Amino acid sequence: MAKKETTANVPAIIDSVEALNAKLAAMREAQKVFATYTQEQVDKIFFEAAMAANMMRIPLAKQAVAETGMGVIEDKVIKNHYAAEYIYNAYKSTKTCGVIEEDPAFGIKKVAEPLGLIAAVIPTTNPTSTAIFKTLISLKTRNAIIISPHPRAKDCTIAAAKVVLDAAVKAGAPEGIIGWIDVPSLELTNEVMKAADCILATGGPGMVKAAYSSGKPALGVGAGNTPVIIDDTADVKLAVNSIIHSKTFDNGMICASEQSVTVVGNLYDEVKKEFLARGCYFLKGEELDKVRKTIIINGALNAKIVGQSAYTIAKLAGVNVPETTKILIGEVESVDISEEFAHEKLSPVLAMYKAKDFDDAIAKAEQLVADGGYGHTSSLYIHPAQSEKIAKHAAAMKTCRVLINTPAAQGGIGDLYNFKLAPSLTLGCGSWGGNSVSENVGVKHLINIKTVAERRENMLWFRTPEKVYFKKGCMPVALDELGTIMNKKKAFIVTDTFLYKNGYVHPIEEKLDQMGIQHTCFYDVAPDPTLGCAMEGAKAMKDFEPDTIIALGGGSAMDAAKIMWVLYEHPEADFMRMAMDFMDIRKRVYTFPKMGEKAYFVAIPTSSGTGSEVTPFAIITDEKTGVKYPLADYELMPNMAIVDADNMMSQPKGLTSASGIDVMTHALEAYVSIMATDYTDGLALKAIKNVFKYLPSAYENGAADPIAREKMADAACMAGMAFANAFLGLNHSMAHKLGAFHHLPHGIANAVILTEVIRYNAADVPTKMGTFSQYQYPHAKERYVEIANYMGLCGKNDDETLEMLIQALEDLKAKIGIKKTIRDYGVDEKYFLDTLDDMVEQAFNDQCTGANPRYPLMKEIKELYLKAYYGK
Amino acid sequence: MAELNVIAKRANKTIYRDGDKAVKVFDDTFPKSDILNEALNQARVEETGLNIPKLLEVSKKDGQWAIVSEFVEGKTMEQLMDENPDKLEEYMEQFVDLQLEMHSKKCPLLNKLKDKMNRKINITFPVLDATVRYDLLTRLDSMPKHTKLCHGDFNPSNIIVGADGTMSILDWSHATQGNASADAARTYLLFSLKDEKKAELYLNMFCKKSDTAKQYVQQWLPIVAASQLTKSVESEKEFLLKWIDVVDYQ
Repeated sequence: MAKKETTANVPAIIDSVEALNAKLAAMREAQKVFATYTQEQVDKIFFEAAMAANMMRIPLAKQAVAETGMGVIEDKVIKNHYAAEYIYNAYKSTKTCGVIEEDPAFGIKKVAEPLGLIAAVIPTTNPTSTAIFKTLISLKTRNAIIISPHPRAKDCTIAAAKVVLDAAVKAGAPEGIIGWIDVPSLELTNEVMKAADCILATGGPGMVKAAYSSGKPALGVGAGNTPVIIDDTADVKLAVNSIIHSKTFDNGMICASEQSVTVVGNLYDEVKKEFLARGCYFLKGEELDKVRKTIIINGALNAKIVGQSAYTIAKLAGVNVPETTKILIGEVESVDISEEFAHEKLSPVLAMYKAKDFDDAIAKAEQLVADGGYGHTSSLYIHPAQSEKIAKHAAAMKTCRVLINTPAAQGGIGDLYNFKLAPSLTLGCGSWGGNSVSENVGVKHLINIKTVAERRENMLWFRTPEKVYFKKGCMPVALDELGTIMNKKKAFIVTDTFLYKNGYVHPIEEKLDQMGIQHTCFYDVAPDPTLGCAMEGAKAMKDFEPDTIIALGGGSAMDAAKIMWVLYEHPEADFMRMAMDFMDIRKRVYTFPKMGEKAYFVAIPTSSGTGSEVTPFAIITDEKTGVKYPLADYELMPNMAIVDADNMMSQPKGLTSASGIDVMTHALEAYVSIMATDYTDGLALKAIKNVFKYLPSAYENGAADPIAREKMADAACMAGMAFANAFLGLNHSMAHKLGAFHHLPHGIANAVILTEVIRYNAADVPTKMGTFSQYQYPHAKERYVEIANYMGLCGKNDDETLEMLIQALEDLKAKIGIKKTIRDYGVDEKYFLDTLDDMVEQAFNDQCTGANPRYPLMKEIKELYLKAYYGK
Repeated sequence: MAELNVIAKRANKTIYRDGDKAVKVFDDTFPKSDILNEALNQARVEETGLNIPKLLEVSKKDGQWAIVSEFVEGKTMEQLMDENPDKLEEYMEQFVDLQLEMHSKKCPLLNKLKDKMNRKINITFPVLDATVRYDLLTRLDSMPKHTKLCHGDFNPSNIIVGADGTMSILDWSHATQGNASADAARTYLLFSLKDEKKAELYLNMFCKKSDTAKQYVQQWLPIVAASQLTKSVESEKEFLLKWIDVVDYQ
């Protein structure tokens, strides 16, 4: 087998670059095989390896102390035990192979893959336990791991790795899946780091820096200088004994160990007494200086004191203390790095400070963290109910672990004093500590997670007023509900001067009087309603305090009433924010205020056009700046729409034709919109049919053909419902700007570009198409053909059918007196061309453009405008 | 050459004065490459515009290699410091200013300081065991790579102060380009071997004037101590080992 051959070429002892390269090549092969293992196979290997490491915890602990001359055998036993048992327990059920997460509804699958070859740098302070930890999490994640031990601890590190490797192979893992350097050197360590796919670098700053500069992703950890604060509300016995328990653990070599204790205010003496009572030694007079000079040399930690007992260190310093002394405590004042006691000491030596108050203690702790513990761990002893202080402390500490009432050494490594903190022997220190992770390192950091995302379609919706009442003569019946069912007391009518003067409001007022509903009428709305007008109306509303608003009129009156409604309910509303364009109305940045809490909104159209009675749109102009605010949000949807053709009978001809062709444009655009649905299609098609059939007569005969009037009223409302949900398109974008720049009535502006836009949209090979999950490929032409077919137009092929539809629309336009080109409406050529580029950019940026089936380039819009201007 | 002209005599070299020239004669034990390197260093540093004696000649005198430079009149800074203890601070200030001026120069063809330290650490065997060497090399590896002109033996005995106060820097045999803090660490070590008070005065002044954190210089101390160890001065050994045997956090 190929696998056997490669292993055969690997030298028994890795002591040179050549030997290492052979070893790494073999390990890569082994890992390729390992990568194919199932979760069951991996879990078995993980189990057996953890069992074996657990079994060997005492011999490995003894070997570590014998070889390094540091630490306490009994404590190292605990560390080994922890590395085997807690790590196994934490990850035994974790999915690390193949699909680890799946959500079929959303079409998301997360697939775990190994990283490949992990390089592990193992420190001298926790050699065997760290080796067990890193090899176990590598096995669980199907990675190969090569260990670069520290020369001071190489034998025990390798022994631990070998225990895990042997058990893993026996349980079925590929041979050589765990490797190590037998004769460590900086050269080989750097070589390993460069070759690996990821580095787990626990070690001193030099090693961590080397890992990060190797160019490979590294999970390095940094220095700790854990400051403890004992607040004056703390339980002194618990605090002091927790600190002693942690600080003496393995002679203080865990990097999360407490380095200083800051006691708040008058608790100091009590804390000191407890430390004394529990066998700690407070350094007196010149003893303090002797120990200072012993523990730190030129700002660095004396290697001779690391992991030694308090007694040994005192002896080195020439200080006499009882042999059983637990911790040497220096009562010092400065938290500056020039104070030796302010350093990390990796031994049972502790600094003790007195703080004026809690804030002073936090300030000291912040400085101590800055002295050499950025990102690591901080600790606070306090009454658990002091949540404000706890939060203040947590906010101030630039440490990734903030431990409360917990011995830091055992607490920081997780799962011993808090059961949601992940167990780990590699503690991330975040960007503060120059690390890529800020949490306790675990299996999730050793897998690549692939996300398989299937195409899904957006949830769609259909929204409309809760009540849409229609039929010629229905208005009084519908209004009746306001009194009899809803028990409304005060109605505020908004309309325009023309309608008011011509008595259109009377039937409403009469009905309201009958029901005893107080009412008032604001009739000062002009076409293109202004913000000033809306504010005036809103002020009147504020004084009148209506519980019902009745908007009577065309688009202008209904839009103005909607804005007054907003200002009345939310005087603080910011139009600039509400008018911000959106890509998806459900994902917009600004949340529209909740409407309808003060007043119920009734919309009664008097023209068959805008459909505003059933749409969530309103346009308002700031007369001071000339800025138009197009507002769109379902909060603006009227609560009741009353479509009664009696209100529309005497529309003038010009209005009939302009608003009628607007209806046609609404329905056509909603039908080809990328957001069109079956729900909106039916409404759009029926509206189109009504317009084709009844608009010419409504235009010609007016009130003399009440059926045509009614059918057009229905068409306007149905088209409104369609585009309230499917939205519009480029035709409207361009018409909005044409109207704004050249003062063409909105319907006319739509009409003169209508057929150009249809041809443009129907292209088989559009430059770009609209972005919406449901819109799978350019199919506007098919959609236009569907419309044509519904009208009974059927050509030999799609192109011919499309032409028939275009012709039918041109014929319709001619019948209702609409001219062919923009020029025909008297727009000055020079002025048109001068303003063209501005108009193009603004049309491109119009809210309606987003739903168009073809995503337009600006030069294409320009071409369309030119064609519509000249008629070719 | 007449004995009268001897300015200084070291283990394997002697320095004579010959009129307005200084002649450094090396004995046979000195590697030729080192002598040529020293002359080349001096020539290169001359080009930086720093005030140093000009190299005049590299030749053989009576069969022995010699470097001939300009002779600089004056007293060494060391003499001045010893003779006028009350003016120590003033001299130290001048001394640090001069070192900083040197550090402001670039000399791109000189050897690299980190390469030199790497070689030195590797030849400390067997005095330093593999573990300590590994830690030292790791420390060195993580140090920043700079390209400032470093003297390598910047101490008051290598500074000549003229009657008008002009200062000239001698002996460029250890010159490299590298981290100024390493050069300062080396100077601090040389002071510390003789006089701890002067050493502290120096370091505080250097750090203040160069706006360098003390720890930054201190990080180099185990490395320069190991390098000094290669000189095998028995009386320094214990002192140096104490400086070397430190650890960083783990």
